[in-house]
Amino acid sequence: MTAPAQEPHTTPSTGTHQQVGGAAHAPETVLSASGLRKTYLLGRVKVPVLHGVDFSLSRGEFVAVLGSSGSGKSTLLHLLGGLDSPDTHNGGTISYRGKNLRSLSSHALDRYRAREAGFVFQFYHLLPELTVLQNVAVAAMVRWGLGYYREKSRVRSQTRALLEEVGLGHRLEHLPSELSGGERQRVAIARSLINNPSLLLADEPTGNLDRATGDTILDMLCRLRAARALSMVVVTHDPHTAARADRVVRLVDGRVTDAQPL
Amino acid sequence: MYQILLTRRYLVSKIMPMLAAAAVLLCTAMVLIVWSVMGGFLTMLINSGRTVVGDVIIAWPNAGFAHYDDLINRLEQDPQIKAATPIIETYGIISLPDGRKETIILRGIDGESYARVTAFEDTIYWKPLDAPLEKDTARLDPRLDLLSGASLQRMRSEGLTLTKIDPKTGAESAALVMGIEVSGFNRRRPEGYYIPIQRERTTPDGEVDWIDTFLPRDGRLLVSVAPLNTEGAGADVVSLASRYFPVANEFQSGLFELDQRMVLLRLDACQEMLKLGEARRIVRDAQGPVVLPDPTDPSEESFDEPGTRTVVDPARVTHVFVRGQGDMSRGDAAIALADRCRAIYRQFAADHGGQVPRAGDIVILTWEDRNRTMINAVRQETALLLFLFMIISLVAVFLILAIFWSMVAEKTKDIGVLRAVGASAPGVAGLWIAYGLAIGLVGGALGVGLAYLVVNNINPIHDWLGRTLNIVIWDPAVYYFPRIPSEVDPAKAIIVFVGAVISSVLGAFVPAVRAACMAPVRALRFE
Repeated sequence: MTAPAQEPHTTPSTGTHQQVGGAAHAPETVLSASGLRKTYLLGRVKVPVLHGVDFSLSRGEFVAVLGSSGSGKSTLLHLLGGLDSPDTHNGGTISYRGKNLRSLSSHALDRYRAREAGFVFQFYHLLPELTVLQNVAVAAMVRWGLGYYREKSRVRSQTRALLEEVGLGHRLEHLPSELSGGERQRVAIARSLINNPSLLLADEPTGNLDRATGDTILDMLCRLRAARALSMVVVTHDPHTAARADRVVRLVDGRVTDAQPL
Repeated sequence: MYQILLTRRYLVSKIMPMLAAAAVLLCTAMVLIVWSVMGGFLTMLINSGRTVVGDVIIAWPNAGFAHYDDLINRLEQDPQIKAATPIIETYGIISLPDGRKETIILRGIDGESYARVTAFEDTIYWKPLDAPLEKDTARLDPRLDLLSGASLQRMRSEGLTLTKIDPKTGAESAALVMGIEVSGFNRRRPEGYYIPIQRERTTPDGEVDWIDTFLPRDGRLLVSVAPLNTEGAGADVVSLASRYFPVANEFQSGLFELDQRMVLLRLDACQEMLKLGEARRIVRDAQGPVVLPDPTDPSEESFDEPGTRTVVDPARVTHVFVRGQGDMSRGDAAIALADRCRAIYRQFAADHGGQVPRAGDIVILTWEDRNRTMINAVRQETALLLFLFMIISLVAVFLILAIFWSMVAEKTKDIGVLRAVGASAPGVAGLWIAYGLAIGLVGGALGVGLAYLVVNNINPIHDWLGRTLNIVIWDPAVYYFPRIPSEVDPAKAIIVFVGAVISSVLGAFVPAVRAACMAPVRALRFE
């Protein structure tokens, strides 16, 4: 197991320079993982995917997890986002703002996903029966529960503003099937941000898009990150995408082989 | 909150939930239609039963009881009681013009008071009609045209008094009012009315003789009964008393059993035949004092030998029918009335000590007790049908389960997305439960609506089926009532609706648990 580099640095990304740490001001670590192990059971066969991965993410940092298919990068993202849990024995720890995710109740873990972490997936995963506006609002409904009635007007205006921000203000009532791939991914990004999370976890966000559209999406992600001081983890197999990150963590066969600031 | 949004969207955007709602709709409608029709059928039977016996029956069927006039007076003075009437009931044999002999229930009645206690007046069949029956659009009911209004009016009057007046001599005689099905000479039409049918009889010399089958016109029938004695039974060797009576009219109570077997006769004639009328007898009282006649009372003129005395046995009846004040259709109201009758009878028995059955022996029944066999039979039939249809309706539960199971599989990715944005496992289960609830509400409400439409139009629908496809499901000749009961009881509708909703939620429960237990990552990776 190779520990990733954790040294503070100045990040050039998408032309926006963001101070995330320094000798005088140690960057606040938002998310960290240590010794993560994950094994899947396929039938009776145990398939180890992660072999003791260490990871950290500072406040406002953009980390790209680069690896080939099957390297375990999506699994790492799911563990960091609380969608999955590490192995029960010696599975390692994941800590968000000092709280061990593994010790959280399922209710608290649901709250973590609803309020602190936003997900963007390669295949968008929009709900096909809902309009663009509803696809974004549904995340707010989950977050607020019955309190949504109280927050409804504020959430609706926030949803509209967010969709305007990602350039979909004119397609609010369209269904996902009526949108292009790039537009769908922008809806997914808006959905991931509607609850003002501090973490954005993106799994191959440009993997299903052509280069130009992918660049547009990446530009948007970087812009939104800067505007909202988001900490962002992007999983990709594309070095071009990874090049936009503050730091790259390389994953090969479930092990971190190299981590370097760009 | 998101559950409501998704449930609404899923409901209208997919064909499968519509199929599930349609299954709930059909099952709801099916159960409610069956329950309404069978329940209506039972209500009609019960109401018909009450029309011929009143609300409470005081009975001493073996030998009858005396001083019934006094009992009726006492009953009618009670504020809870509207009227009471003396009745004699026994079995007999009636000889019909075509040679057949039928066993009958002979009921001796006093027409005037019987009409106050029962719906006798309404059940008299041959009477002028103001309007044709609902299904008789061609106006073929003989009561409309075939007979003159004056004849029918006379028949009605004679039927109510059970008295036939000879048009030639003007002499009055006690007459019969028969159940409309007793003679077999009346044929019921699908429209619900009866027509007298012509029958032929071959005479001994080989000629065909046509019988006038419209008995109220000139019919005379031989009635035979076994007289009852005061000990409550006939002699060991039963000898029948027979007598011819003219037929005044016929009645239709709505109860096939009665309409096929019951014959009404004027009370005094019945008492006379059964030897239940007032009678004098001489008692040889060897050891007792000699009773001398009262010289001031001309009716007490006696030719008794010394050592004997004349005893007057008062007339007797076997039953007294009682009608209560107010609505007695509820069983508990009739029970309260029966208790009141029992209290009155207790005092009556005490005042006539030894001459009438004791209060503890007399039989006092409510209309429900009297018709219990019939009511229970129909109730059990209704319950059995409902049970069968509810078993069939379980199919809807499994249909919803199957549909939801496949929908959960289809929506696996959606479940993963919802979990990814923070939806809890119970929240996801709640989504599918809410979905099942919505399908139950929609299907149940539409089912109740459909049942309401079908039941309220069941007779036109039935008529249409008969006209176009020649299908007659409700044959009045079989089911006896001319119309299919067509009322939806709101309480039944609510029960069926709630049952439909619960069934739908039950059907959705297992798939909901499956959805809730789904690991988010697996759901997202599901292909």
